Amino acid sequence: MTTFTIQDVTKTFTNGEVTEQVLNGINLSLHEGELTALVGASGSGKSTLLTIAAGLQRASDGKVQFDGNNMTAMTQEEIRKIRASKFGFVFQSAHLVPFLTVEDQLMLMLDVAESTMNKREQKEEVAKVLKLVEMDHRKHAFPSSLSGGEKQRVAIARAIIHKPKILFADEPTASLDSKRSKDVMTLIRDLTKTLHITTLMVTHDEEMLSYADRIITMKDGLIG
Amino acid sequence: MNMAWKEMKKSKAKFIILGSIIFLVSFLTFIISGLANGLSQDNAALIKDLPKGHFYMNTEAKKTYNLSKIDPNLQDQTMKEHKNAAAFSIQMGFVNDAEDKQHTVAFVTSTDSPLFENVGPGEIVLDRSLEKDGIKIGDVLTNNQFSGEFKVVKFMDQKKYSHAPVAFINMDNYKEIYRTNEMQLMFIPGQDKAASITGLDSFSNNEFLNTISSYKAENMSLNMIIWFLIAISGMLFAIFFYMMNVQKIGLYGILKAIGVKTGTLFRMMWTQMILITLIALVISVALSQVFNMIAPEGMPFSLTLNATILLSVLFLVIGFVGATLSGLQIRKVEPLQAIQQGDM
Repeated sequence: MTTFTIQDVTKTFTNGEVTEQVLNGINLSLHEGELTALVGASGSGKSTLLTIAAGLQRASDGKVQFDGNNMTAMTQEEIRKIRASKFGFVFQSAHLVPFLTVEDQLMLMLDVAESTMNKREQKEEVAKVLKLVEMDHRKHAFPSSLSGGEKQRVAIARAIIHKPKILFADEPTASLDSKRSKDVMTLIRDLTKTLHITTLMVTHDEEMLSYADRIITMKDGLIG
Repeated sequence: MNMAWKEMKKSKAKFIILGSIIFLVSFLTFIISGLANGLSQDNAALIKDLPKGHFYMNTEAKKTYNLSKIDPNLQDQTMKEHKNAAAFSIQMGFVNDAEDKQHTVAFVTSTDSPLFENVGPGEIVLDRSLEKDGIKIGDVLTNNQFSGEFKVVKFMDQKKYSHAPVAFINMDNYKEIYRTNEMQLMFIPGQDKAASITGLDSFSNNEFLNTISSYKAENMSLNMIIWFLIAISGMLFAIFFYMMNVQKIGLYGILKAIGVKTGTLFRMMWTQMILITLIALVISVALSQVFNMIAPEGMPFSLTLNATILLSVLFLVIGFVGATLSGLQIRKVEPLQAIQQGDM
């Protein structure tokens, strides 16, 4: 079932008198339980497309439809609510909150998503998700005491704790070594399948493409 | 989730340093405020403790009360029109005790008004600070300009003028000492608006206090220090939170990206500012009260509850403004910029 569509999306950046067209009319549909990888050379527009799809910046033209709603016509607050409750994010760096324990990172996300669970249920949910990413033994640890791979696992747990419909992953393995990259990709793929999440991932690491269900190559702001 | 408290627990040293600085600044402000109030009481308790009303002195005195001479006819006429009016004079002088020891006093004439002491001829009512100098009720005091003697009949609390204890004497005795039949001042209590009396200038209580040059000079300097300290504390909050916010721009961007409201980030900053200020203020108030108890005998120190509450509220308001101004950058944080940066 299609949950997310991008129609004729363009993006133009203007810097003084210089105008640069980064996206030249993109059309794309994402499907539930499918891991879609966006690949392409630097400057091809893949990260710009991901951030527009995630509601982190607006398209110059075109439509982004999610669950039948036109996101391009929404206010910033409406988009923020969708980001908080329906989207999950995994970035190149883990970007964990340095003063929160692993458990609190996930509790925070449930708060942000305005979860209706009570505190006890929230803690149980956190424990379940931490077990899923094999980080339950480090739930009281602060980010400063975690390895790079552990941080990224916690970041993935934070991205899925509120059961998002779409997971946006921007180069999730870029800061990890080869073994940890494979572990993280296995985790993202397994979660996409078991939790029926729609995942859109940007990567330039060809080794990671074997985990994707669909590979979309971008070149000069167009899908190749 | 209380992120503000969790951050304070994790970064104790950072917040303890800010709290210590706010405590030191607020403690110094309370001490100076106590001294300012103590000095102003020591300088003009006689006037400050009078009810709200208006003072009158003659126009030619040009706002200098000890140059004022109110015409006795005008005084009688005004006293008839305003039944609760009081005419009086204040002059610095001295009295000698039985051992011929000289004590500086501010002579104030007795009046029929209940606002001032009613003292009979040859009697004297003194501020209680002279009791500590060894003078007792029944003692006989003299003055080299006065032919008779003064018998001490009563001590009163908090009757000071120009840092000297007040000595209330009968109007006739005053006239003999200072060789004058004219009073310097008239006071009409309870007036919202001053009465227009030809030949006399009117002053509200505060305006009159400011005609006392030593009072104005002392208060202006100390109040200026107090306001500077309050402004400094506001700037400290602004600078501290600005530095913290600059360090956390990336974090704020990520939090915004995952859907945290900008208002939540502001509330986090305000909670931290209020907690730090409250803890610093509680310690400052407690220590300034301890200082009140152990302050040397001769040091005029008076920190009232009103002054404490007013200063505390001011610190909170200034802290809030400082933190909020520095926090305006949170509104400008773009999630995209943060994502493009590395780990925090």
